[in-house]
Amino acid sequence: MPDTPVFAVVGHPNKGKSSVVATLSQNDAIAIALEPGTTRRRHRYPLSVDGEVLYVLEDTPGFQRPRRVLEWLKAHSASATDRAQTVAAFVHEHRDGARFTDECELLAPLVEGAGIIYVVDGSVPYSPEDEIEMTILRWTGRPSLALINSIGSDDHSEAWKAALGQFFQVVRRFDALRAPFDQHLSLLRAFGQLEPQWEVPLQRAVHFLSDQRLARQVKAASLITDALSDMLSYRELSTLSEVQLAQGEEGAIEDSLRRRWLARQRQREQDLRGDIENLYQHTHLRRQETTLQWHSDNDLFSEGSRRAWGVSRRYLVTAGFGAGAVGGVGLDVLTLGASLGLGALAGGIAGGTGAYLFGDRLPLPVMHWGPLRRGLKTATFGPVQDSQFGYIVLGRAVDHWWHVSHRNHAGRDLLDLPPASDHWLESLDSGSRRTLQRGLDSCRKKRRLENALRADVEAVIAAALALYGRRQNRFTVD
Amino acid sequence: MTDRALKLLLDFDARVQREKSQPADFLHRRDRRFALSCIEHDTPADARGWLDHLNRLSGAGDEDTPAVRSIRQWRQIGIAFGIAGSVFGVVTMLGLLVYEGGQRINLSVLIAFVLLQVLLAMLTTLQAALGWQPWRVLLTRLQRQSSTQAMSAMQPLLMARAAHLGGLCFGLMSLLTLLVALVIQDLAFGWSTTLSTVPAGFTDVTAALAWPWRGLWPAAVPDLSLVEATRFYRSADGMSDVSASRWGEWWPFVLMLWSSYVVLPRAILLAGVQVNIVWRAKRALQTHAGWRALQYRMQTPTVDTGNSHNDAEDAPVDFQGRSSLPLPAAAVVIYWGGVADDSLPAAVTEHIRLACFAGGRASLASDRQTLSQIASALANGAGDAVLLVTRGWEPPTGELHDFIEEAQSLWPSPARLTLIPLAQNTAPPVPAHQLPQWLRLQERFTAGFVTVSLIESPLATAAAGEAHA
Repeated sequence: MPDTPVFAVVGHPNKGKSSVVATLSQNDAIAIALEPGTTRRRHRYPLSVDGEVLYVLEDTPGFQRPRRVLEWLKAHSASATDRAQTVAAFVHEHRDGARFTDECELLAPLVEGAGIIYVVDGSVPYSPEDEIEMTILRWTGRPSLALINSIGSDDHSEAWKAALGQFFQVVRRFDALRAPFDQHLSLLRAFGQLEPQWEVPLQRAVHFLSDQRLARQVKAASLITDALSDMLSYRELSTLSEVQLAQGEEGAIEDSLRRRWLARQRQREQDLRGDIENLYQHTHLRRQETTLQWHSDNDLFSEGSRRAWGVSRRYLVTAGFGAGAVGGVGLDVLTLGASLGLGALAGGIAGGTGAYLFGDRLPLPVMHWGPLRRGLKTATFGPVQDSQFGYIVLGRAVDHWWHVSHRNHAGRDLLDLPPASDHWLESLDSGSRRTLQRGLDSCRKKRRLENALRADVEAVIAAALALYGRRQNRFTVD
Repeated sequence: MTDRALKLLLDFDARVQREKSQPADFLHRRDRRFALSCIEHDTPADARGWLDHLNRLSGAGDEDTPAVRSIRQWRQIGIAFGIAGSVFGVVTMLGLLVYEGGQRINLSVLIAFVLLQVLLAMLTTLQAALGWQPWRVLLTRLQRQSSTQAMSAMQPLLMARAAHLGGLCFGLMSLLTLLVALVIQDLAFGWSTTLSTVPAGFTDVTAALAWPWRGLWPAAVPDLSLVEATRFYRSADGMSDVSASRWGEWWPFVLMLWSSYVVLPRAILLAGVQVNIVWRAKRALQTHAGWRALQYRMQTPTVDTGNSHNDAEDAPVDFQGRSSLPLPAAAVVIYWGGVADDSLPAAVTEHIRLACFAGGRASLASDRQTLSQIASALANGAGDAVLLVTRGWEPPTGELHDFIEEAQSLWPSPARLTLIPLAQNTAPPVPAHQLPQWLRLQERFTAGFVTVSLIESPLATAAAGEAHA
């Protein structure tokens, strides 16, 4: 028997075995199709931590000739004590033949000491005919767990549960497409319950996977901070000669710079999405990026995006006041408090007024023309001067993160990003809002975000991710 | 030491920037492995060790790295400031000591110049502390490579170091010039002012200035008599009645004044800025986003969930073969795999003469018996068509394939088998995504032995009937 727990995922063809493996191994490159026989060979998916394998999932083909197998087994067994040996003999005798290829691939890991994860489709009715497969599995004598996976919309899981309970030690419901991450971990814990010596490695695996999940959230916040900093501070430059100026090409240059600036911003947003998808190991989602389903009027610069992800004028005023006040405190410090806090007040009023007057518009960044030097003139487009732009980028990034981080790897449908309907950022506490506003302002004014402020903004975005996750989960439950 | 800390920061920053496009998984695995190796060998997993480890693995590379170039450029800037300061120091002191015998070297001017030097040194330090870089434009033109964020943060300090080095060279060379002048010339120092200052007031000023060395060299602290004796007015003729040597007695004060207020502050500030550069470089490394990311990668175990396997391309392609055909009139029907005998509509079963069950829980012997029974019925005029009703949602398995294969070999040659996959719910037909698996099955048998037919929904059938009428 192997030291490392091995779990063979077995069952009837086309009942979602590969979906279960794809979700648990976080692999979206496993072939999953609605037709039988997609999995022809068994394949191992080890979970390793620093190179140490904690458990192995083994995907297998489905039963093709269970009656023949059972008939063979019965014909070669003398008593209940030799059943496991008889199954091993069956695999040994038929592994080089063509007729029982699938059964040999399926039974071989069990003969080698794997635990049984038997997958059934809870959306189709239970049928006594399935008991033949369960009987064969019982002959192996291996610890077993049954998973009721629902592929369709009907629910026959109660009938399945009653029947499976007679053949398997543990029966669990697990929707490979929609089960939240907590359920993945819960299922792994259940695997550990099958054998006493499997409990520790599975507990460790759960621990590491939980940590990895948290770390990914932090990393996602870092990636979003980088993208925000890049997009808000980005400038498109072009230099014109005196001849071009004389020919009146300023208009054409402005158009060209505007187009390039917009294209680059869109590309940067796509890059961020790719990075987030890679972080969560959704590598095949990226290949479908050109065909991502975009809701109409949901572009980065559309009015729809502004309505969905922009924040209210009230939010901007309070955040602007706070950020301005923080800046004004510098004056109070320089005067050793002799200004009696007027610096903070003046800064706050200036920040709040600016936000009130200009905060509800989304003007594209204006053109800047440099002075004529040595016959050359530099035109600059950007950085964007609108506070809302940062919130739109952030809102869209956080929403995309949520969809990707909560997507199971068995999913093969296109990523759908519907527009949101609530201004969730307004639920952040006032301190976080101020920090965020300072960060966005800093990006707009300077080319780079200072390390300390960057760390603060990253922490706020990490908190925002957690907040958004909680809100979305609450909506999902409701 | 200074350059080592700075070089470490710049090398680290360059490495982090270079690795930005590397896959995160790869970086995590590599750095975690390095950290585990450090634990195993009880060596510190710090930035220096990490860079050395990577450089060792990559082999000897280009020595002229951006960090080396930056540091070399700042050394060159420092040397240029030093040379300029030295030259300027000699020239300035010669200018201050211009003395042709008919006039005195005005100590008031000297003191004012020294205080100006102190002020300049302070301004340089303040500028570095505030991070103000008025000379940035000039530097940008001189630099052959664009400055990184890490380097930009260090530039005010580096510029302060160059300025203090220049100031120190200025002070030392001017002091040397003063000493030489003292040896080879007779210098006459005096003090002069338009204000109605009494000598006692000037003595207080000089005593305050001489406070740092009053215990060290008392002779370098001018007394009231010297101050009284060496006051001069430019309108007065000649050297008055004061002895010529008396004018020269100021030199210890001038020497110490210059050493203490021009040379020493610059030396202290230069040492301070050196220490500050090391401290800031270390701090910049500690707060570097790349260092935090590296620490995380080193401290966090790599979790590989087994997602390297890729067989996404192995999924079956869309079915392009024969489609389903209309349901033939048949006298024989087989209910496969537990399908109930009331699953077909009455219109289909009204001509049925023989209904059998196979597959599912039936034994293989029973299946063989069923096939023989049907073969006899077909031979005895039960027609050519046999219906096989299956659950459309249960995929066709090898057992069904074997059963049909055996039927083809047993039954008379004109016999044809029609598969009827049923929908899970009673409302037919079978959903579109379940049909291709049955159409593929018919392709596996030769001579059109197997076809697929669907039970139309009652509504569709009624509509078709009305259209026909």
